[in-house]
Amino acid sequence: MSNRILVLGDGAAGTIISNKLRFLIPTEDADITVIGNSKFHYFKPDGIHIPLGMKRYQDSVKKPEFLFNYGINYVKDTISNIDVQNKKVSTKSGKEHTYDYLIIATGDRLVPEDIPNFASEAHHFYSLEGSLELKKKLAGFNGGKIVIGPSSIPYQCPPAPYEFTFQLYRYLNKRGILKDTEIHYIFPPNRVFTIENVAVYIEKLFDEKNIQYHTMFNVESIDSGARKINSLEGEELPYDLLVLVPPHKGQEVITKSGLADEVGYIDVDKHKLTYGNYDNVFVIGDATNLPISKAGATAHFESEYLASKIASEISGFISDDEYDGAVACTTVTGDEKAMTLYFSYN
Amino acid sequence: MEEKIKPTKIIDARGSFCPGPLMELIKAYKSAKLNDIISVYSTDSGTKRDASAWIKKSNNELIGVFEHEGYYEIVMKKTKG
Ligand SMILES: Cc1cc2nc3c(=O)[nH]c(=O)nc-3n(C[C@H](O)[C@H](O)[C@H](O)COP(=O)(O)OP(=O)(O)OC[C@H]3O[C@@H](n4cnc5c(N)ncnc54)[C@H](O)[C@@H]3O)c2cc1C
Repeated sequence: MSNRILVLGDGAAGTIISNKLRFLIPTEDADITVIGNSKFHYFKPDGIHIPLGMKRYQDSVKKPEFLFNYGINYVKDTISNIDVQNKKVSTKSGKEHTYDYLIIATGDRLVPEDIPNFASEAHHFYSLEGSLELKKKLAGFNGGKIVIGPSSIPYQCPPAPYEFTFQLYRYLNKRGILKDTEIHYIFPPNRVFTIENVAVYIEKLFDEKNIQYHTMFNVESIDSGARKINSLEGEELPYDLLVLVPPHKGQEVITKSGLADEVGYIDVDKHKLTYGNYDNVFVIGDATNLPISKAGATAHFESEYLASKIASEISGFISDDEYDGAVACTTVTGDEKAMTLYFSYN
Repeated sequence: MEEKIKPTKIIDARGSFCPGPLMELIKAYKSAKLNDIISVYSTDSGTKRDASAWIKKSNNELIGVFEHEGYYEIVMKKTKG
């Protein structure tokens, strides 16, 4: 009997897992269907480089259809309900999809509206539109105070804000306006990065470049009149240009389907990536509540584990492999340098 | 924790690593009311330092840091409106 594998989401995680599954499982053993609603597949890491003129946005977008290998059924639709009890997924077009295996890979979303005045005052590089706007804004910037950082945690790709800061430093230097600019970096916990030994290194680089940093700074509000941001901890910082990672939440359909609280990230078994007591329902990518980076690299490592587990099961073996939280990602630190971070649950 | 202090909210962040427990505490703090008592459990010893530093910086009251069998408990009172 052919197994039905249903993947929800056509972003990084949905694309990687479905292609890996198709590579491992012959078409006669499983149907693979992906449901997603992206207009185009945008390679988000380029968001750092587009505002600084280091990358053309036209090279960062592709049609999602183009990314799925032969033998994957791609359905363009919006998921409106996920019913794990009855193994049914409903979509906006009125269709119902059933499955033997369900993989939720719906990612998360930006919620700038959670901070008053974000839309009118802050810029960001967390969407293609945001990066293109920021590019225009930077072109007209001729010096002043720039405040950069994540407004809160969690957010996608923890190193991205410091990577952007280092590339911005280089950009300002090239344009000859670094001497007229103060860069202030803000970060929510009590160091400049979540992982302690990385934070020590980044602080050293910030010190060398005279980039000032303010830790334990969780953005609470933006005062558009005084052009200041205020933190939950009671500090304020004036700005001429504000580049903030917008707050993030999980998808509304996740909360509406009762799979998570109102913040929307799904609790999963950290070694099996399963949801609740359902051993045929998996969650990967940014949609999870796991204590590891929300990154394409995470989606990739999780997919390695999960695709081989499902493929083994379908071919009659029992796999007792577990995911250990391993992730590796390379991050840029400016001056044509980069470093690779390796981490896991331990 | 001493018997007489009853937390309004307990966050069990055991098994999560820094800054996870601190961020969970901040999340709970945002939705807490004035004078609420929040307690966070953590197996990561770094939380003692990180959470205490955050509670002080944000001008709230650190009630105490307690060591239990296999985990720490950090207790705070929301004193800032
Ligand atoms: C500026 C920036 C730089 C980054 N740099 C890196 C990097 O260098 N390395 C790295 O590893 N990661 C990086 N990332 C993070 C990485 O892009 C994300 O972690 C990754 O995209 C997560 O994949 P995902 O599939 O879980 O979510 P997404 O890629 O967001 O995909 C989710 C998909 O689900 C679809 N969807 C959601 N809800 C519904 C619904 N109701 N119905 C139908 N479809 C739905 C969406 O349309 C979307 O296509 C970066 C991110 C940013 C913003």
